[in-house]
Amino acid sequence: MALRQRETLIFEKSVAGKVGLDLPRLDVPAAADTRPAHLKRSGFDALPEVSEVDVIRHFTRLSKWNYGVDDGLYPLGSCTMKHNPRLNEKTAALPGFADSHPMTPAEHVQGNLALMHTLQTWLGEITGLPAVTLHPSAGASGELTGVMLIRAYHLSKGAQRRIILIPDSGHGTNPATAAMAGYEVVELPSQTDGTISFEDVTDPTTGKVRKGLAALIREHGTEIAGAMITNPNTLGIFEYRIKEIADLLHGVGALLYMDGANMNALIGVARPGDFGVDVMHLNLHKTFSTPHGGGGPGSGPVACTKALEPFLPRPVVVREEAKRGEGEVPAYTYRLDWDRPQSIGKVHTFFGNFAMLVRALTYCLSHGGDGLKTATLRAIVNANYIRKQLTGTFHLQYETPTLHEVVFDDAFQAKNDVHTLDIAKRLLDYGFHPPTIYFPLIVHGAIMIEPTESEPKEELDVFIDTMKQIAREAAETPDLLHQAPTLTPLRRLDETTAARKPVLRWTKQA
Amino acid sequence: MRYLPSAPSEDRALLDAIGVGSAEDLLTGIPAALRLNRSLDLPPQQSELDVLRTLEEMAARNTRFRARFLGAGAYDHFVPSAVDTLTSREEWFTAYTPYQPEVSQGTLQHIFEYQTLVADLTGLDVSNASLYDGGTSCVEAALMAVRLQKKKNTILISQGLHPHYQEVLCTNITPHEGLKLVQVALTAEGVTDLDDLKAKLDGDVAAVLVGYPNFLGCAEDLQAIAAITKPAGALLVSVTQEALALGWFEAPGKLGADMACGEAMSFGNRPSFGGPFLGFLAVKDAHKREIPGRVVGQTKDLEGRTGYVLTLTAREQHIRRDKATSNICSNQGLVALRANIFLQLAGPEGLKGLAAQNVAKAQYLRQRLLEVPGFEAVHGAPTFNEFTLRYRGDLKALQQACLAAGILPGLDLTPYGEPLKGCILWCATETTTREQVEQLIEVLARIPVHA
Repeated sequence: MALRQRETLIFEKSVAGKVGLDLPRLDVPAAADTRPAHLKRSGFDALPEVSEVDVIRHFTRLSKWNYGVDDGLYPLGSCTMKHNPRLNEKTAALPGFADSHPMTPAEHVQGNLALMHTLQTWLGEITGLPAVTLHPSAGASGELTGVMLIRAYHLSKGAQRRIILIPDSGHGTNPATAAMAGYEVVELPSQTDGTISFEDVTDPTTGKVRKGLAALIREHGTEIAGAMITNPNTLGIFEYRIKEIADLLHGVGALLYMDGANMNALIGVARPGDFGVDVMHLNLHKTFSTPHGGGGPGSGPVACTKALEPFLPRPVVVREEAKRGEGEVPAYTYRLDWDRPQSIGKVHTFFGNFAMLVRALTYCLSHGGDGLKTATLRAIVNANYIRKQLTGTFHLQYETPTLHEVVFDDAFQAKNDVHTLDIAKRLLDYGFHPPTIYFPLIVHGAIMIEPTESEPKEELDVFIDTMKQIAREAAETPDLLHQAPTLTPLRRLDETTAARKPVLRWTKQA
Repeated sequence: MRYLPSAPSEDRALLDAIGVGSAEDLLTGIPAALRLNRSLDLPPQQSELDVLRTLEEMAARNTRFRARFLGAGAYDHFVPSAVDTLTSREEWFTAYTPYQPEVSQGTLQHIFEYQTLVADLTGLDVSNASLYDGGTSCVEAALMAVRLQKKKNTILISQGLHPHYQEVLCTNITPHEGLKLVQVALTAEGVTDLDDLKAKLDGDVAAVLVGYPNFLGCAEDLQAIAAITKPAGALLVSVTQEALALGWFEAPGKLGADMACGEAMSFGNRPSFGGPFLGFLAVKDAHKREIPGRVVGQTKDLEGRTGYVLTLTAREQHIRRDKATSNICSNQGLVALRANIFLQLAGPEGLKGLAAQNVAKAQYLRQRLLEVPGFEAVHGAPTFNEFTLRYRGDLKALQQACLAAGILPGLDLTPYGEPLKGCILWCATETTTREQVEQLIEVLARIPVHA
């Protein structure tokens, strides 16, 4: 942690006359001012006047209040916080890539197009879904693209369907996406083993009956455009009836979308295209090691079946074999195909977060096909080791086998009035980033742990010991947890007042 | 494999502790029939050196131009060294979304400062933590305008909006049944036709999106447009595809815009073949609870110390699910950090000075081009670092001559509508040298023009 416990806003450091950027020498005549008076830029209220030293110190000090993957285990479930290889940063910054302009004629960006085509091909192989677009900017953007593909597909068949089915364990982005694509969301209930229920489910407390998949399909039939299903689901459980689900959906002409957030459990082990998925997104910033950057940029490629390919966002990178003499090695040229009459259109101003694609391709090459599978298996081993070691110390709602993550809850600790939030905050005092908490919504007080393959046994053991220590504290000295964290730069923050009386920017004091 | 912390003895210890013979035994949850029973058809694992070589070869297949005059939504600007070194700190680039504020104050305070600067640049009250890019920022602004005025169903877009932004809008608005996108024409001067705007501004219009400066480089008179949109009850959205222009032209909020959005990659970022870029969105205080995306707010901790948290989360997908203001979950955190660092280094004088240099370079380029036979001025509106000229010669020959000489020329506007046939959109920034302009002129002067 930083030695310094305070770093003010940069605006409070501003002193008139300081500069942090010297203008380059101007080798042409100064600008003639052709602006009408009212279009001339007036002053700024906040832009600070600071030197380069001030700025470097400011952001260095602020950085020390952050926790990154390099600091240690970052077990956010469904977020896949794995190691961010430095080679990826280096390749993305190669001037040939970084300086290339997105509107350069194709023959002068053959390297970029070859890279995109190669990554598309590999992601197609990994998912078992042959058609891939790299344009979506993030997972949510990929979901939206995927659902719009489904919509375009149905429209091409002359049908305007209105419903998307989403399990109650799904990410919040799924229903938000379906709504943004103009669909009505109908929830699929989970059954006692944590997977999607085919049968109706009766709530044990309210007695309310929720219709299962079979009944919903009978009831809504051809009104259903598709289902958005995360697999393995947000409990880390593989939806083992996924093929049956796909068949039921296909039976009424609906399509299966897979949220690929948890693809780190499947690469090299199983392919969504082989178990009935029609379209899915991948999170390059989860599964393919591109850094999260404190919230972005992400990258959310979408893979789909041949049937959905005509609707992919344009332009599409295509490869053509250049004409060569007999016996010569085939050479390829690449171009952007804009002539896609059935395309849903553009989903990004250009072609997506290209620099993230460079990183993902670098990651794939560094692992190789077999290495990717080894990584998957190690991620599953790490999660199951934590599960094994912490079962009994923390309550596990579902005993079904899990893959890359495990969801405990606070049922044991709640008896001492210690809750998930307290456990998470106490972990901060021990120097760990907490797991994802209170998600999925179907587990009360969820503690969702995903260690990824990047963690050595030693780090897992320290984490496990810490969790056990926290469980002891919860029983013996619960107030320690209620007060936590106390060793962080700041203690718990007042989020209620922040939302009620929002202060969203600095303003100059009069 | 260098990224896997695997020693055989430890792997064994993990499996023993779990009580399985091998990792494959943990896959029992996946029905055997659904598993992949072959290796992935990908190249074999490679060393760092080998991978680097492969990627270097790919990058080398792109042409490195000695001079570039292409903008159109992606701009070449100098990136101060501090931007790269600071953002390569692991605390910035390997951190997640700041869900745990006690260990994320760096990211949160950065976003709070970024929000302040975007509000300052745009002359509006509230900014979010950033959006994907210029095109999607238009979508979020348009959908927000419709949420604010639920009975209205029409979004007017000036034809001067970047054509890609228009297409991204179209892609995303189409699924919303009942919503309509209607184009407003440009005049021969390259700015929004106010008569056409008036004619289309009926009671159903929720928002009017106008490029500022627009795709052709022309600065629209936002004040005059606001004077028309306001009485009609529509929200005026200013869309800036080159955010550095806000160091030269007045802040849209001060000219009557209700929202400002667009692309801010120019602040500390590289073109990178179009991404990651930086969408921004700023709105009025009264509208803040409908703003999409992450927002950071100031608050106090238990001991009364100032700190920052993600706030107004009641709008967001993880709480509201299908009733959320947007499905967006991430922001462009690290790209916004680069912009924040850049803007702090630049300060008010640096920003205005840099903007003025961009104008000077573009004016010089324009003047020199107009001296070459075949080039004609098209528009008279004030411009920033881009402008449109008509070329009476063979446009294909011009392009080929430039490319052959290692020069990336401006954008051929012929595909963007009949009035733009034979026009080229040129761009110069502070990185453009007089010598590069002269190299271009020399190449162009050699092309025979029969017009």
